[in-house]
Amino acid sequence: MNVLLVMIPLSILLLLGAAAAFFWAVDHDQFDDMDTPGLLPLDDSTHHDD
Amino acid sequence: MSAYAGTIATAGAAECCWHCGETLPAGEIIHARIAGQRRSMCCYGCRAAAEWIEQLGLADYYRLRTEPAPKPDAREVGASAWQRPEIFRHVVRDLDADRRETMLLIEGVRCAACVWLIERALGAMPGIVSIQVNASARRARVVWRDAEITLPKILETLSRTGYHASPLDSQALNDVRRRESRDALKRLLVAGFGAMQAMMYAAVLYFGGNEALDPSTHELFRWLGFLAAMPVVFYSARPFFTGAMRSLRARQLGMDVPVALAIALIYAASLIEALRGGGHVYFDSVSMFVFFLLAGRYLEMRARHRAGDLTDALARLTPPFADLRRDDGTIERIGIHELRVGHQVHVSEGGIVPADGALLDEQCRVDEALLSGESAPVTRRRGDMLIAGSVLVEGPAQLRIERVGADTALAGIAALVERAQAERPQLARAGERAASRFVMRVMILTALTAIAWSYFDPSRAFPAALAVLVVSCPCAFALAVPAAITRSLAVLARWGVLVVRPDAIQSLAETTHVVFDKTGTLTQPDLTVSNVETFNGASRESALRMAASLARGSRHPAARAIAAMSAGDHVEQASDVRSQSGLGLTAFVAGRELRLGRIDFALAGRADLHDCEDAVLLADDTGPIAAFWLTEKLQPGARQAVDALGAQGLQVAIASGDSASKVEDVASRLGISQWRARQLPADKLAWLADLRANGACVMAVGDGVNDAPVLAGADVAVAVAGSAELAQASSDIVLVDGRLGSLAPARTLAKQTLAILQQNQRWALFYNLTAVPVAALGFVPPWLAALGMSMSSVCVILNALRIGREEATP
Repeated sequence: MNVLLVMIPLSILLLLGAAAAFFWAVDHDQFDDMDTPGLLPLDDSTHHDD
Repeated sequence: MSAYAGTIATAGAAECCWHCGETLPAGEIIHARIAGQRRSMCCYGCRAAAEWIEQLGLADYYRLRTEPAPKPDAREVGASAWQRPEIFRHVVRDLDADRRETMLLIEGVRCAACVWLIERALGAMPGIVSIQVNASARRARVVWRDAEITLPKILETLSRTGYHASPLDSQALNDVRRRESRDALKRLLVAGFGAMQAMMYAAVLYFGGNEALDPSTHELFRWLGFLAAMPVVFYSARPFFTGAMRSLRARQLGMDVPVALAIALIYAASLIEALRGGGHVYFDSVSMFVFFLLAGRYLEMRARHRAGDLTDALARLTPPFADLRRDDGTIERIGIHELRVGHQVHVSEGGIVPADGALLDEQCRVDEALLSGESAPVTRRRGDMLIAGSVLVEGPAQLRIERVGADTALAGIAALVERAQAERPQLARAGERAASRFVMRVMILTALTAIAWSYFDPSRAFPAALAVLVVSCPCAFALAVPAAITRSLAVLARWGVLVVRPDAIQSLAETTHVVFDKTGTLTQPDLTVSNVETFNGASRESALRMAASLARGSRHPAARAIAAMSAGDHVEQASDVRSQSGLGLTAFVAGRELRLGRIDFALAGRADLHDCEDAVLLADDTGPIAAFWLTEKLQPGARQAVDALGAQGLQVAIASGDSASKVEDVASRLGISQWRARQLPADKLAWLADLRANGACVMAVGDGVNDAPVLAGADVAVAVAGSAELAQASSDIVLVDGRLGSLAPARTLAKQTLAILQQNQRWALFYNLTAVPVAALGFVPPWLAALGMSMSSVCVILNALRIGREEATP
């Protein structure tokens, strides 16, 4: 059972990382526009500078 | 390949404008080369916009779009005035020394391809730091570097692309709605993560049992559960606690009080159990409890925000500038914010009145359709009040400003609409009231359980009371309404039916009568030739060609309908075309003088024809050649829509201000037996009131301009898109593209929504009636309580997802 003492803190760390990533995404407008990104793959023009 | 590009291809690019999709005018056609193809354009505005898009290398837009592009209008952009410091300060926020930020309201955003086009067209310009377009709110947030590009330049670029943009007040940048929705999303996620972790640790306790786990491991997992539930209770559930505090301070007992009490009790009791080292802990249940309640609130908030986006339309009604008349007679353009009471303002013909003020001139005529719903311009005399947002039809006019900003009549209406929309839907409020009553009862039951057990077996009193608290689930009640409504709103939006007021779902399901407006709703503004009769041996084709040569140059609807009959044929050039207003046209074709128009004009009394009073006649000096009967073009799908509504057992009627013969014609073509002609808005309103007094639930469908009072007087008001912005904002439902065919399926869906809603509520009641007594008797172990609670909520959500499943899309 000693392996738990490694795995559980590890899982908590991972979880904190995921939550931080999600907070970052929400704060950087990733959930504001759900329509346009779906069109981007259809755009085969040459200038993908951004 | 997008759906729209497909339609264009099949419809034949020759007949409509490649850019805006409008029918091409008769006469010379303008062409442009787009992506190597020659495309027809209806006007120079469209050609300029299309060539500009092509020049930016963004011709892909035409492939991606699902709706035609907005038609660029020749409206004055007035862009340079935005550089005035007084105005600039109001609409722009400084991010740092160089970067500026503003929120633009963009007209004409129709589909995701518009968003793509705007982001590309602006993003490619030097100096633009970032641009984000929100299609549903029709807003764009733009950040730029002041040294490299200016605000007027940005607006100009947008208007060249075909979108009219105006900066919003910089307060729009501190968007309350945006912050609210981001906060809610974060809390929901934390609750979800916390609940998952707490459940994982709890599963070890449930399935490991006391035999497999040594006491220290057991203890460890308990405290891990406590740890996982901590952010859920102290961060995610905070809105419940603050809400409860607020209602307690106001000496009310809202939904938040019992919920907050339940969360606090379960959490505190589990903590005590964990400290004592005995009994059960419910850290997983309390996390899930919070998660499901937050999910219900999040769904409801999304529905509310979508409706709120439409109120932005109101920001567009007042112009951003006013022309101030100084004492020395010079006119200076200033921002609307600088306008003060007592200022003298000049409004030119066709301009919009910037603020409420008294007329200083002898008289003028204004169109107040957006406010009063009267489409006919009204005459105002010296001293009369002109209302902000109305359009000056006959002018110019000088005003003395009497009310500005938030005091104007328009701002008052806007505030009313906004308040109505900020209110939570009645169904949701009723659902919450039911849930809060329920929680109160559970609290009492919990107390009773604890008291009863303390008589028989005090050691079991605490666990049993806790089990009652956990197993009884208000979540199913709280989720039942938002889940069903959100699902149905989403399905309806996909069908092109935008529900502005979620309460309309209920009224829509109960509708018994449908009253249509005729012009603009059932019919199109264009006319069409329904019948041609020829005289004196003239052939139908030659008569049509002759008439077309005369009619081609005219913009009159009747002339356009006749010219459209011969579109594409070779038509002889007419010379010396003269039009006589209200009567008809004369011209020479192949040396012959022809007349086209009303019977008395075309024949000039030389001959007498019966039964042709309503027709348009073509005649030469010798006598009549042909008669054309014109009718209004029905909206595509109008007949099917009316049939479908009739098949559902609804009474369909027409109320129109038009003459009896025209209304009867349209009614008979649509198979509608009930119609009323020559109706003033007051008559229509009286009729609706009559119907409603007899127990009918009335749906009114109109284009909003002269129907605003009628729409307001109905149980469900449906506005056809493209109608007046204010009418749209104050109606319950907006039909995108005037798709009347969606009405009947929408009603079916509304009925299904109500049915499922009731099922959900009954299910929640049934579950609780079974589970609570068992828990009170002490038979429910913690894992079963947690499972029962979450499964009852999941059932409600899955049931709501059935809405719109079996329905075929219209």
